[in-house]
Amino acid sequence: MAPHLSFPIALVYIIILLIPLLTLRLLAILPPNRPPPAKRKRGTPTRLLIVLGSGGHTAEMLAMLRNAEASGLRWKDYTHRTWVVSSGDSVSADRAKGFETEVAANCSGSRVKDHALGISLMDSPEKPRAGEDVVGSYDIAILPRARRIHQSLLTTPISALYCLYHCFRILSSLPASQYPDLILANGPATATILILASLILRFFDIRGASKRGTMRTVYVESWARVNRLSLSGKLLVRVVDRFLVQWPGLEGVGGRGEFLGVLV
Amino acid sequence: MASTKTCFVTVGATASFHDLVKGVLSPSFLKALQSHSYTDLIVQYGVDGKQTFDLAVKAAGSSGIQISGFELEKAGLGKYMRLAKGSGKEAQEGVVISHAGSGSILDALRQQIPIIVVPNATLLDNHQVELAEALAEQEYVVHGRLENLAKALEDAERLRERQKEWPPANSGVHRQAKAVGLRGILDEEMGFLD
Repeated sequence: MAPHLSFPIALVYIIILLIPLLTLRLLAILPPNRPPPAKRKRGTPTRLLIVLGSGGHTAEMLAMLRNAEASGLRWKDYTHRTWVVSSGDSVSADRAKGFETEVAANCSGSRVKDHALGISLMDSPEKPRAGEDVVGSYDIAILPRARRIHQSLLTTPISALYCLYHCFRILSSLPASQYPDLILANGPATATILILASLILRFFDIRGASKRGTMRTVYVESWARVNRLSLSGKLLVRVVDRFLVQWPGLEGVGGRGEFLGVLV
Repeated sequence: MASTKTCFVTVGATASFHDLVKGVLSPSFLKALQSHSYTDLIVQYGVDGKQTFDLAVKAAGSSGIQISGFELEKAGLGKYMRLAKGSGKEAQEGVVISHAGSGSILDALRQQIPIIVVPNATLLDNHQVELAEALAEQEYVVHGRLENLAKALEDAERLRERQKEWPPANSGVHRQAKAVGLRGILDEEMGFLD
C-alpha cells in the first residue's frame, strides 16, 4: 500500500512546483520576452488610454501630446481615447475636454464624439451619421485616488487596493476585444496601479488579455525627474513595454530607459 | 506716469507652500522689490494659504507695493503670466516666482519671462531641487532659495538680459525629439505599418 502523504506536505510540494511555473509565466508577459505588437493598419479601430494626474502630470501629458501632434501624430489613427482622471480632479477632466475640442478644431469641420462615461457605464459608440467627419471619440473615466499628496506610506496600500479594484472595472468592463490597445502614463500613483491591474489581467489571460497587441504600456518619466526616477518610475521600469526619460542622465536606467530629448 | 512692473508668485495647485508665501511678503523682500522698481506683487497662495497670506500682508504694513492674492485659478495662470510679462511701455517685464512644478516652469519658459524657481522641501523625497538645479545650470531659470529671495531677484534681473529660447531649438537631440519622439513610440507600440 502506498505511503499516505499528509495534506500540509502535499501543499508544500505543490507550492514549490508552482513557483517556477508562475515565475516563467510572469517573465513571459514582461519585456524583453513579451512578443512585439502585431502589425495593424491605420484606420482600424484602436483604443488609447491616457492617464492624467494632479499637479504637473496633466500639464506635462498635454504638452507632450501637443508636441507629438505637431510632429505628425494623427489623432484619426487613435480612434478612441479614454482619459483616466482621479476622483476629485475636475481640473484634469476639464483640460482633457479642452484638449479634445482642440483636436476637433484642428481638423476643420470635424466634431469629436463625447462619451462622458463613468466607470460603471458602458456604451458602444454610435456609428457616425453619413457625411459626418469625426476625429474618433473619447470618454473620461474616473478612478479613486491611489495616494493623496502627503498621505502616509503606511496607509497607502489600503487606498491602493481600492483603486486597483476600480482599475479592473475600467480595463475589463468592455468586451475583451476592447481592452485598451495602448496605455500611456507619466507618473501618478494611479497610473502604477492601473498598469499593475493590466499585468494581472494579462498574467491570467482573462478574456484574452494576453494577446500581443493588447494593453501595451508606454511610460514617460516626468520632466521634473533629472537624476532619479520617481517612485512610479522605479516600480514600472522593468514592467512597461517602453520607458522614456527626458534627461540624458537617466538614459539607460533600468537597462532600458530611452532618451529622446525633452518631450514637453 | 511710471510704468508698472509685476512680480507674480505661484505656489501651485496641489500642495501648500506657506514658507514661500511668507518669504515673498517679508519686509526684506518687499524692499528688494522696490529697489528693482516693482510696483505690483500678485500671490497665488494655494489651497490652504489664505490665512498665511492675510497675516503676512498685515504684518508687512505699507510697502509701496500693490499687493493682491488669490487661492487658485481654474482657468489657468496665463492671465497672470502675461501681467508679469508686461506689454511694453506702460508695463515693464517683471518676474515669475514659482514652486518647482513642471507645469508652472514650462508656462513661464514658453512665455519667455524670467523665472525664479523655489523648490518645496516638504514634498515626497524633495525631487524638485534637482529640476531647479539642472535648469539653473543650463541658465533657463534662477534657482531661488527661501533664505535669500532678495538675491534671487537680483539674479533674475541678470537672467532677463540672457533670456534663452524654449524649447531649445538648435540642439541636435531636441531636433530629433521633435522629428520622432513620442509620436514614433506610440505608433510603434500600436503596430502601425509604415
